[in-house]
Amino acid sequence: MTELIQQIIDGLGRGGIYALLALGIAVIFGVMHLINFAHGELITVSAYSSYWLFSIGLDWWLIAPIIVVVALVTAVIIEFVAFRWVRGAPDFTMLMTSFGVHFLVQALFVMYVSANFRQFPRPEWIFATFRVGQLNLEIYDLTVIVITLLTLLATYLLLQRTMFGISLRAAAEDFDTARLMGIRSNRVIRSAFVLSGVLAGIAAVFWLMRSGQAGPTAGLSPMLKGVLAALIGGLGSLSGAVLGGFVLGLVEVLLISRLPSSIAGLTDGIVFLLIALLFVFRPQGLISVKHVERV
Amino acid sequence: MDSDPIRHLITPGLGSLFLFSVIGGVFLLLSGDDSFSDLATQMMINTVVVLGLQIYIGNTGILSFGHIGFGAISGYAFAIFAVSPSRKLIQIPNAPLGLAEIDLTPFQSGIAAIAITLVIAIIVGLALSRSGARSGSVAAVVITLALLFVVHEVATNWIDLTRGGKTGLSFSPFGGNTLQGSYPIILLLFAAIAVARLFKETRAGRLAQAAREDDLVARAMGINPAVQQMIALLLSVAVVAAGSAMRVYEIGSISPRLFFFDYTLLTLTMLIVGGRYSVTGAVAGVLVITAGKELTRNLAELDVDGFNWFFRDGLTDIFLGAAMLGFMIMRPAGLLGDWEFDHWLLRRFKGAKSPVPVSKPTIMTSAQLKADSVSVRFGGFIALDDAALTAKGGEVVGLIGPNGAGKTTLLNVITGLVQSDNGTVLIGSNSLTGLTPIKIARAGLARTFQNIRLFPALSVGENVEVIRLVAHRHRQGKEMPSTDSLLVKAGLWDQKEWRASELDYGNGRRLELARAAAAGPDFLLLDEPTSGMSDSESIDMIAQVRTMAELIGAGVVVIDHDLNFITGICDRVYVLDQGRVIAEGSPAEISNNPLVLAAYLGEKA
Repeated sequence: MTELIQQIIDGLGRGGIYALLALGIAVIFGVMHLINFAHGELITVSAYSSYWLFSIGLDWWLIAPIIVVVALVTAVIIEFVAFRWVRGAPDFTMLMTSFGVHFLVQALFVMYVSANFRQFPRPEWIFATFRVGQLNLEIYDLTVIVITLLTLLATYLLLQRTMFGISLRAAAEDFDTARLMGIRSNRVIRSAFVLSGVLAGIAAVFWLMRSGQAGPTAGLSPMLKGVLAALIGGLGSLSGAVLGGFVLGLVEVLLISRLPSSIAGLTDGIVFLLIALLFVFRPQGLISVKHVERV
Repeated sequence: MDSDPIRHLITPGLGSLFLFSVIGGVFLLLSGDDSFSDLATQMMINTVVVLGLQIYIGNTGILSFGHIGFGAISGYAFAIFAVSPSRKLIQIPNAPLGLAEIDLTPFQSGIAAIAITLVIAIIVGLALSRSGARSGSVAAVVITLALLFVVHEVATNWIDLTRGGKTGLSFSPFGGNTLQGSYPIILLLFAAIAVARLFKETRAGRLAQAAREDDLVARAMGINPAVQQMIALLLSVAVVAAGSAMRVYEIGSISPRLFFFDYTLLTLTMLIVGGRYSVTGAVAGVLVITAGKELTRNLAELDVDGFNWFFRDGLTDIFLGAAMLGFMIMRPAGLLGDWEFDHWLLRRFKGAKSPVPVSKPTIMTSAQLKADSVSVRFGGFIALDDAALTAKGGEVVGLIGPNGAGKTTLLNVITGLVQSDNGTVLIGSNSLTGLTPIKIARAGLARTFQNIRLFPALSVGENVEVIRLVAHRHRQGKEMPSTDSLLVKAGLWDQKEWRASELDYGNGRRLELARAAAAGPDFLLLDEPTSGMSDSESIDMIAQVRTMAELIGAGVVVIDHDLNFITGICDRVYVLDQGRVIAEGSPAEISNNPLVLAAYLGEKA
């Protein structure tokens, strides 16, 4: 029992990061029907920025907020350079565009930094634990959970209470109608990228505290996790994406602790396979978003 | 496909031969120079793999990241069979099933590898069709990515079988086998070109392209995309598997890295840059990207003052990423679009045919279409409430009513696109209730759509012909006019070679009508065929609907707002209001019915 609770807390910590990434992906999918396979590049750029910021002597307290800004700026730049040109293009084109960005950013880092991973220090408290009854809780997990919940709450308020949030939700619901109602599409799409950048930035801080390294492919794993979580949630749904993130985190932790060690190396593959099966048997995702095609 | 199918394949066949000789020439030229001979072999192998991708991605429009995963399966199967037992006992002594002792020739191993890969492709294909994969669908991306990842992880972790990720499984400690200029690879290259080119012209290929252009319309016209997509998948995987086995043989070893993201990126970029809809394009893509890669690799070694920020390692990857991104943004159809060498050849030397005499009308259907007590609710909204409609062969039945009255919903229920909560639909004595749109279409209903839906990237002729292929198989009792005579009747003869997306609005409507007629239906269901047309165009449309229905011997159900059109064309009219049929009768009776005047013509009366 204690073990299970422990694992659930681990899973929620992991899932919180995925939820932030998935929410960013779902927001963009909402406004432009694009699955952003380049979302991980925000993490890659953040990783190199942290490496550099460490090398000039800053510490985590200063680096964290800078990272969020870096991710935000990167998101806006990517939108400006690539995605704005394929708005409304067929799904195939948009998918390949996002993969193109993904590969291009990766290539830029290989060319201008190095193909090798660079290490930077993790915060010293990263593996510190404290006991509550029989539970061994990691400060890191609790921090992630608390910050994630606060971020989600702030996002929720932003989306529900502000004009920006309302136009974003309207655009996500029905982009064409929203435009006809006078919502400025450029601005909505740009703000969606800003929001997704901020969310990815917060996720990046946590991710990098744990991994402590920067490399051209640093964004691949978080990107895949975020996309998968968003897919579990049904892509169009923002709350679904958050739920999908937590579900994915829990499933991973439970799988890792229960799989025999001989195939533990396959965790990612198994998770991927599960998601593929989910698609085979429930193509609309865990939470179905009704999308009726008018004929 | 009006002529016999063999003749139809002659020019594409010649085209393949020509393409093969061009490519072969390039390779020959390259391999003459010692420093390029390896490159030439690599290019030939890459061409095979890219053509494999083209067969699936080009024809179905489904983006697959898994094909290189299939390549990995084939590559490993090949290596495990083909590496000599003595080498295997050193590298993978604990291989299961006594695989370490097996000794097959490279040829036998290749066949076995392709067979094993195909078995897995069948499973993946079933999963894809269960997930409703279609052009640009996310489900397909996820499933195929999962395949790529799972294969990679298994290959990395199942050390007993694959020797894991570090060193990989190799044929000899001294590097690769030389395939340069050998027959197997040349034969394979030719086979891949011919298979890819001819598949485009086969029935399966054409139906897959129609579904690529518009999945919903394809279904509503009786095409079952899952079948065509499966055929395309198996063919393409067989080609990729053969190419991949060859690749492993040439390199002389296999490790998980060999068939993962890098190779996926390379082959996809080649396909997309060249033009995924075209076999010539796929081949061109290999040439262009290989040339670009070699060029950038040499540039990267340059040492030019002031430009060292640009001429440095990694330039090749930048080139690939930028090529993919650039083409997606500026020219998503690739260099060649759907241009094929033999199309061009055909047009050059054949010249335009003169229009054919229009065939005689087919015998009018004796079947009756009958929808009874149909009710549909969307949540709390009652779209249809006990609606009914009958139509006979030779009759034109109109369906009018204010916006939101449920006209299109009734048509959707009849054609199976919307499930009714209650009610029956019969054609003759066959019940259509609850059948899929595909089966309903094959039972003899063909429709057009309120917002025109053509197969935009196919030519006008192909739009009609592909549906005739469906009719040819599923409407065998019916004697059908040829594609050409349908086009002449629709007044689209001169536009036969145009892309459907190039048609103007009125011609688009006419093409939709011709396409529906090509399905050989007992009933044509037309959803607002004159919306957005001028008065004179509407009058022409009346004549066209009439003659088309007579030509194919079908009854007509037509929805329209345009009263002139409805009274001009209909024998009988149903009036729908808020989901109910409030009146039925001849146009004259309807226009004097007080209920109708109140509900529908209220303001005008």
